[in-house]
Amino acid sequence: MTSKTLSLLAPVAATAVALAALPTLGQAAPAKHPDFTGAWIVSPYSASLKPIDGKPAPLKPEAKKVYEQHLAAAAKGDKTWDDTSICLPEGLPRIMTIKEPFEIMQKSNALYFVAQNRLPWRAYFNEKLPDDPDPMYLGYHVAKWEGSKLVIDSAGFRDVSVLDDKGLPHSEKLHLTETYVMGKDGKTMTVTYKIEDPDTFTHAWTAKASFKRMPSSFQFPEEVCAEKLQTTAPKR
Amino acid sequence: MKTTSILRNGSALLAVSASAAALAFAGLAHAQNSQSPSQAPSAAQTQNRPKTLDNSGDPTLALTGPLRGSTVAPAGSAPPNPDPKDFQGVWWLKGYEYMLGPAPGVEPPLKPAYMEILKRRIRAKNRGVPETDTSTQCYPHGMPRLMESPYPIEIVQTPGRVTILHEVAHEVRRFYLNQQQPKDVKLSFLGHSVAHWEGDTLVVDTVGIDGRSFIDDEGSSHSDKEHIVERFHKIDGGRQLQVDTTVEDPVTLEHPYSYSRFFQWRPDVRPSEYICEENNRNAPVNGVTVAQ
Repeated sequence: MTSKTLSLLAPVAATAVALAALPTLGQAAPAKHPDFTGAWIVSPYSASLKPIDGKPAPLKPEAKKVYEQHLAAAAKGDKTWDDTSICLPEGLPRIMTIKEPFEIMQKSNALYFVAQNRLPWRAYFNEKLPDDPDPMYLGYHVAKWEGSKLVIDSAGFRDVSVLDDKGLPHSEKLHLTETYVMGKDGKTMTVTYKIEDPDTFTHAWTAKASFKRMPSSFQFPEEVCAEKLQTTAPKR
Repeated sequence: MKTTSILRNGSALLAVSASAAALAFAGLAHAQNSQSPSQAPSAAQTQNRPKTLDNSGDPTLALTGPLRGSTVAPAGSAPPNPDPKDFQGVWWLKGYEYMLGPAPGVEPPLKPAYMEILKRRIRAKNRGVPETDTSTQCYPHGMPRLMESPYPIEIVQTPGRVTILHEVAHEVRRFYLNQQQPKDVKLSFLGHSVAHWEGDTLVVDTVGIDGRSFIDDEGSSHSDKEHIVERFHKIDGGRQLQVDTTVEDPVTLEHPYSYSRFFQWRPDVRPSEYICEENNRNAPVNGVTVAQ
């Protein structure tokens, strides 16, 4: 993990970025693009994020050792490597591929992703990723349209999260490119994840997940992870 | 554990936890208030003030001072959206009241038994051993307390919905437009909210609020029967969002009461990650929260 000294100035960049040119919020999404607004859930669920070429994730030796430690510990019921077991954020793309619904709110200037009442993340159109971001659990995101495909570019992640429920590791150099494609009926979507992380993987690789829309009547229940923690948290 | 640095209203704080941040902030607010003679009430005002905890003369009941003032968006920031029914974007509460009564420094009209509980909580706080509340356990703050948080909020409007994304503890309020409250609302800390427009005012009705949370930071009680109506509308050319809140609770309150709060348009701010669970050094022990 890159040791990064947090200064009092750091959150200025993270929290209060002055964006004089930020477009006025609130315009409806243009009709020519599919509208991803709504609640979604991964279907089918898979605990593993697997390369679409059918090969194992191209882990470097050190990262492979970490992954195997995660698998071995989990087999013994030990999930202390998994920060979500103490209610810390899942990171990306895991927050979307767990067995929980999330919602997308699509506007012309930004997309909002909210999994129940977990940590939300935002992807802004017409912006560039920061050059030297203060790492965050869910990173930084910019969005663009490629025809009817929505492409979200993400970086600036902390390395304390994992990529999937099995514990596939990543470093702060993770660069994630997601491509969202709406199904013809508007009730399904597929997301392709291009994963680049030179500290963890020998080369870039791509995974894919499918999602289905939740019924329009679906309302997100309040989820209080910390309340469950008192009985479920592993001892550390 | 990692240290999180937070810049809030122009004051840099090294926050050891969410709760400590709030406590530190309140302390700062108190200091600011006590150093601002212009804020102090006049003798006439003092004489005419109703008997409240704030002027009880009992030092063990001293309230935590409010924060006054606010930071506006710097020159050149995006102007407010001219549509009076478009609240989208980032807003920041002006000031910060530790107690949410009908007027600053005035407690909610609690029934006697609940007033005694509030006094007990204030005394515990002033002894440095505040009673456990929801926020110190990383549970949602409850309502209306969440709306009185010195962190930015972001409003997003989508068909049939208005959503508030709070930076604090990444809490989310979803308002379902033009719907009736369900007959059997499952209790939750932020309740179930339905909303409708009355002209340019968004009227939000919230019920089903878990009685374990407090009305405010001082510890005023509400029950599961609490009912909150909030009226959101833009003022000041869209640079402020006024929220008129009415709280009623037949269990803990003598009668409903109302107050108004104001949020500043802050297009220069992007909400950041706020993760209570990461560094919850104020986790309660045996029902008591002690800063560690």
